[in-house]
Amino acid sequence: MSKFNLLMKQLYMSKLKSKSFILMTLIYVAGMSVAIFWSDIKELFTGNDEAQQIAIVNETSADLSGIFISNADMAFIQDETNLQVLEQKVKDEEIAAIVEISDKDGQLHAEISTFTPLKLNDQSTISSLLQYAGQHYAVQQLSLSPEQAAQIMAANTTITNKNLNEETSGGKSEEEKQSGLWVSYAVGILIYFFISTFLSMITTEIASEKGSRAMEMLLVSVKPATHFKAKIAGVLLLAFTQMAIIAGVFLLYAKFVKGGVIWDMAGDIVKELSVSYVLYAILFLLLTIILYLIVGALFGSLVSKVEEAGQVLMPAMMITLIGFYVMLSGIGNPDTIVIKIFSYIPFTSGMVMPMRIGATDIGVMQPLFSLGILVLTIIVAYLFSLSFYKRSVLTYSTGGVIQKIKTVLKVTT
Amino acid sequence: MTLQLQHVTKKYKDFTAVDNLNFTIEKGEIFGLIGQNGAGKTTTFRMILDLQETTSGTISWNGQPVNSINRDVLGYLPEERGIFPTMKVEEQLYFFGELRGMNKAELKKDIDFWISRFELEEKRKDKAETLSKGNQQKVQLIASFIHKPQFLILDEPFSGLDPVNKDLLKDAILLLKDQGTTILFSSHQMDNVEELCDHLCLLKRGVSLFTGSLLDLKKQYGKTKLSVRTNWSTTQLLALEGVKDVRVEKEQTVLTLEEEHFAQSIFDELSNGKYIEKFSLDYLTLDEIFKDKVGGNVVEV
Repeated sequence: MSKFNLLMKQLYMSKLKSKSFILMTLIYVAGMSVAIFWSDIKELFTGNDEAQQIAIVNETSADLSGIFISNADMAFIQDETNLQVLEQKVKDEEIAAIVEISDKDGQLHAEISTFTPLKLNDQSTISSLLQYAGQHYAVQQLSLSPEQAAQIMAANTTITNKNLNEETSGGKSEEEKQSGLWVSYAVGILIYFFISTFLSMITTEIASEKGSRAMEMLLVSVKPATHFKAKIAGVLLLAFTQMAIIAGVFLLYAKFVKGGVIWDMAGDIVKELSVSYVLYAILFLLLTIILYLIVGALFGSLVSKVEEAGQVLMPAMMITLIGFYVMLSGIGNPDTIVIKIFSYIPFTSGMVMPMRIGATDIGVMQPLFSLGILVLTIIVAYLFSLSFYKRSVLTYSTGGVIQKIKTVLKVTT
Repeated sequence: MTLQLQHVTKKYKDFTAVDNLNFTIEKGEIFGLIGQNGAGKTTTFRMILDLQETTSGTISWNGQPVNSINRDVLGYLPEERGIFPTMKVEEQLYFFGELRGMNKAELKKDIDFWISRFELEEKRKDKAETLSKGNQQKVQLIASFIHKPQFLILDEPFSGLDPVNKDLLKDAILLLKDQGTTILFSSHQMDNVEELCDHLCLLKRGVSLFTGSLLDLKKQYGKTKLSVRTNWSTTQLLALEGVKDVRVEKEQTVLTLEEEHFAQSIFDELSNGKYIEKFSLDYLTLDEIFKDKVGGNVVEV
């Protein structure tokens, strides 16, 4: 076995068996399980709760009973009882709220009386129903025929897009954009969590070898370049392993849980995605992780002991966090200038560019350009880090990051 | 097989860590590199191991520059102890052995031999972090030569070892020497250097003060250490011609002479034709020479 393979295997096997890796993988799987089984978990906690009683007091002549239909969370009672009696019932918490609907200048007016404030979700549901009831009431006031009324209520605008920019013509449909958005969101989250985990792992691994002085023993046996490459490859392999475990568990859940509903849903999303999008997403994911691992290895070589790793990791973690928030901001509108700028910055493009590719009508050149910048940055970072690593990995100094860099430059040039 | 350093210099901007160092170590020889903290020993080791580049000068092994040789011919025990804390003793030795190109079958015999020799049988399945400092050092020492290097560098191999383990280590070093391993080492304890080294180099702030055999170094000073047991006071002794220094050691007084030939006149003076209990003329110990050479406050080799 070559020295590279030996070092890589040693790192891979020791980390694979480490408690932190196992725990982190379990947390990811648990998080995914919670997301998939959320409705069942929610049921577990709220399943036995009785639906909240909401009294509807309709003082108008219009029939609104068809709008307020009871569900698992709320039971609507069309109550004609005296308002004071109902209010007493609210105070006694026999019912949750009274919705008193009246006519005010030809418009529907509703007053919601509660003793304990309603949950935000229930409040929103009642508001939506009241909005709809308001439209319904307005239509009824116009004395239209049932057909006309139905036509107005069912009115829907058909929207089609026509892109006059030849570069981005053949634009995506809304469904494609939605799918792209969700997958990009997942890719962004994946990159963020993987970077947080594995950037820290490679930095602390090298810092720990340096701090425990095992590094000198190793570097007599192998060249620093081999050591550097083996560490990156080992952690990358570990990241792939974790991805494979998470993907494997997801596929099992998708296929066998809830009669394969998730599988069908995922299939629908994938169908909407183009092959080029999938390739871009994979490339951005891998390249971003590789870039951060290179930087992490360099950071690890700068510190003198493992306790200092957090100090050098901070800037990289901050950049990742910024990229993550920019990506999150894109869920509302993936076409802002901020998103465009961050989609070209190599440390954040992996999280942001897939969103632009998937959810906007972007030209062919822009993702390629961003990918080019990322690849170029990786090459430059690799060559620079390798050269610096050879000098920094056996240099011990105190002080902040800048001081450490200064010391390395001072004693090695 | 020789290691040769020719005009080796290492500079860090305005600071010269090693200045024009020259020495040769022959095959199977034990060579000591002595100096205080910051004398340039570790820098010299790192340059020999190609962990640091020289500013000028050449370092060669069997005529080949050290940066072009197969690293597996070298072994190194760093001054700072460093092994993988969570790896078991046996795994650790296999790992370092395999990293040096040996296969598991070859390693098994040697690992068994050295584990037994260093009395670590009961610890072979233990994690390194659970071992005592001394045992950790023994594991690291085995890891440094488990691949049977032709040339072995030991930086402070005796530090932290108790007298029993020191003897184990000395025996191991002599065994490696008998097997043909060339050894370069530094130690804080001068008695170990005297006991083991054939040749040595005395460094002070990166400059070699002496390079050669231990006997040659001692001969440079001559037999200037005079131990006497007499009723003369130290003041009286210090007043004698040729006496540089006087100190009381247990039941005797030790005089440092300016030259060996002053011993005769001192003997005549002290005895004055009468019986004296002790009069012994010796070479200075390496420890004494070291203190004299480096003007040392801290005796560190």
